Amino acid sequence: MRRHRGAILVASLLVLLAFVLADVGLLDPIRIARGVRNLGEFAAALFPPDPSTLPTLAEAMLETIEIAFAGTAIGFALALPLSLAASPVLFGPSVTAPVKILLAAVRTVPALFWGIVFVVAVGFGPAAGTLGVALYSLGYLGKLLYETFDGVDPEVVEAVRSVGASRSQLARYALIPEAANGILAQLLFMFEYNVRASSIMGFVGAGGIGFYILGYLGVLRYDLLLTALLLTLLVVVVIDRASSVVRRMFLYQVTPMPQHARLTDVLD
Amino acid sequence: MCPVALSVHDAWLSYVPGHEVLRGVSLEADAGAVTMVLGMSGSGKTTLLKLCKGLLAPQRGEVRVLGGPVIGAQRGRLDPRVAYIPQQLGLVRTFTALDNAVTGALSRVGTMPSVLKLMPENEVRQARELLARLGIGHKADERVYALSGGERQRVAIARALMQQPRVVLADEFISDLDPLTSAEIMAIVRDVVASGVAVVMTTHEMDVVRGHADHVIVLRGGEKVLDTQGVPDDEATRSALKQ
Repeated sequence: MRRHRGAILVASLLVLLAFVLADVGLLDPIRIARGVRNLGEFAAALFPPDPSTLPTLAEAMLETIEIAFAGTAIGFALALPLSLAASPVLFGPSVTAPVKILLAAVRTVPALFWGIVFVVAVGFGPAAGTLGVALYSLGYLGKLLYETFDGVDPEVVEAVRSVGASRSQLARYALIPEAANGILAQLLFMFEYNVRASSIMGFVGAGGIGFYILGYLGVLRYDLLLTALLLTLLVVVVIDRASSVVRRMFLYQVTPMPQHARLTDVLD
Repeated sequence: MCPVALSVHDAWLSYVPGHEVLRGVSLEADAGAVTMVLGMSGSGKTTLLKLCKGLLAPQRGEVRVLGGPVIGAQRGRLDPRVAYIPQQLGLVRTFTALDNAVTGALSRVGTMPSVLKLMPENEVRQARELLARLGIGHKADERVYALSGGERQRVAIARALMQQPRVVLADEFISDLDPLTSAEIMAIVRDVVASGVAVVMTTHEMDVVRGHADHVIVLRGGEKVLDTQGVPDDEATRSALKQ
């Protein structure tokens, strides 16, 4: 009976998937065939990449990295105190709940939309992109950090509380050092993510290489587009490798404590 | 007659309604004496120590420390005069031995300097001296995760002593050690007790009980089933544990 129910469930899901695919136009064979042909033409137009704009693109890429770096740093500086305020180890639900709602609200808005908001606020350019990335990072890092704090060994928290530590001392002497590995990992992840996010900030005039990517798409210069994409890929790979090196340098191995013998083993 | 440093009167506690972990437990721990609490896993030993520290509050009954009610707080400051060493020691692994030891002085240091890790020089010096007295002065600047089990135990004791405690609560903290290191640690505990501190520790090492207990309590299923001054004989202990 249970197997029967499983088969009905799978069949229902497949029917639902077919309806959805048809609704979004992916079951139209003429359209699919045209799409495949267009993709082929697009791919052919990408090659060979034209390196003539490389100096300009390199400058824009540097700006992209600056946006990601400064945005991550500002986002982290804002997220750290807020994530501590969202930790139930330090505060009751009357504080943690509103902070968590605030972080969720900030997180709901995509980075690109924040970019638009700050273009309106501070004008075109990398300042808008940096603020957009910072706010987006605040939402994500805030959540990742308070979840990291929630995972801190409760015995360490109890031990430091037991010495008579205040809330801020508990954060400084238990939560932050014990979560240091997690904080570093989240920070590196966020920076890597933000390099990618910053590379499209230029779509809305918020600085970085995205401005050129959108421009090349607009004038159908796919060979220049490929140069910009390859440069972005190169930078992302280099930053990914650099992150791995930083992780290896700072992350430590924890020696597990041996299991306790049982009282019955000792007495019997 | 030693003054009572810690008293628990008719303490009841349950984490889940209807399933009491402690059922009317009472105990008195004297200053300058070692009180050992024995019991099988799940008998309520750790819960009893957390109650004494103020990390948990009894649903019924009372805990008094040094003549006053224990300072229990959900998230605020606890009483530094009562030191607590958890089962796995609760050391901050990324800190050095010295940093962990100095943590014991936090209640005497203002929030801003301590948050900036600007601990007063005299506290740092005292922590170094303590670590040296406990035989690990040469490891003061090593990170805790690189230390052996016995060295970590000494760091936890140093942190507790930095609190200048009147009561030390230790939860099975010598269970992982070899007999020689265990004897060394108990010698340190005896020195602490000789200075008038009340030590309440849970253990399952009968040799430790025989050699060092001034007062023994046995818990079973959250109830106190044996309470004796001095060391009970093995048969009485075994019978109390398994009845």
